[in-house]
Amino acid sequence: MTDHDHERAIDLIARQGVEDVSTPDLTWLESHVALCPECAGYAEDFGRTGQLLRSVAITASPALVMTTQARLRARALYLQEQRSRLVLIAISFCIGAMSSALSAWLWWRFGGWVAQHVGLPTAIVEPGILLFLLLPAIVIAGLLLAFPRPVFEGALLSGLAREREGEIR
Amino acid sequence: MIATAFSLLVPMETEEAQIARGLRRRDPDLLDALIEQYQHRLMRYLLHLTGNRAVAEDLFQETWLRVLEKGHLYDGRNRFVTWLMSIGHNVAIDHLRKRNLSSLDEMKDPEDGTPFEPPASGPSPFDLASAQQQQEKFQEALAQVAPIFREVLVLRFQEQMKLEEIAQLIRIPVSTVKTRIYRGVQALRPALKGGAQ
Repeated sequence: MTDHDHERAIDLIARQGVEDVSTPDLTWLESHVALCPECAGYAEDFGRTGQLLRSVAITASPALVMTTQARLRARALYLQEQRSRLVLIAISFCIGAMSSALSAWLWWRFGGWVAQHVGLPTAIVEPGILLFLLLPAIVIAGLLLAFPRPVFEGALLSGLAREREGEIR
Repeated sequence: MIATAFSLLVPMETEEAQIARGLRRRDPDLLDALIEQYQHRLMRYLLHLTGNRAVAEDLFQETWLRVLEKGHLYDGRNRFVTWLMSIGHNVAIDHLRKRNLSSLDEMKDPEDGTPFEPPASGPSPFDLASAQQQQEKFQEALAQVAPIFREVLVLRFQEQMKLEEIAQLIRIPVSTVKTRIYRGVQALRPALKGGAQ
């Protein structure tokens, strides 16, 4: 008997009962086990281990199952709401972006019209009006970039955290 | 006739495919049914893995929460139970990392070191008295076996999983699964011999 025979026997013992083992393989295993006390011992221990392990009765308590189901339902609802919010935010963003582009174009045209009537160069008035309109947004964006935490930490993030805690309770 | 032809053309949706579709939709009724169906198997696996009922119960809930959140990743090609157990396995590993333990071997009951609390079972305690004694001895021995070996033994014998499924679940080669089963059985040999006497 070679090491390969023992390895093959151990492999077949491990697969037997759960996986489809061919009849020639089973016949070979039986003949090998009959001749090899080491593999015969392993096959016996293997069978006994399975028998004892299967007889261990472990169950999840009904209370645990009910709690888990309730938590899952609450979480599913929360995720569903979150997804709905994200969709709304995405739609709002798209509408905002489109209306901003449209109004920018209108203000640009208005700047050109004003420049024509006042007699100023359009190359200065058109971007000037647009810049004036965008100035608040640029200032806020600059502040957020410069002080990202203090602006949000106090109000928005802690508010969200409180809201979430409330949901969990 | 038309209905028969249609049913032949359109293949029947497998149970796994139905589960995958339900998980993508985060269907609460489906999740309730899955918890009912797999509660004992998951609990048994986690309890054997952690050796602590309180921890196993926490991980049980955490596993199902993760199933809800990661449900869209289940494609229905493999058995659901294998995917569920792999989620449970990952949750247990994450729990270890949070506790700053380096391996599954360190996951033991902090209170008394006796990991298992399975309820005594059987129709007649009188008939099962000696068997129960042996069972207790076996469980004590099982508790001493390293969790990495215990895990594969549970998956192989209690969950009746194929070696390839276990390998896929734990992300180890099939040869390692076989070695772990072999070493696990060897480690239990004294208890098995003792019980036979």
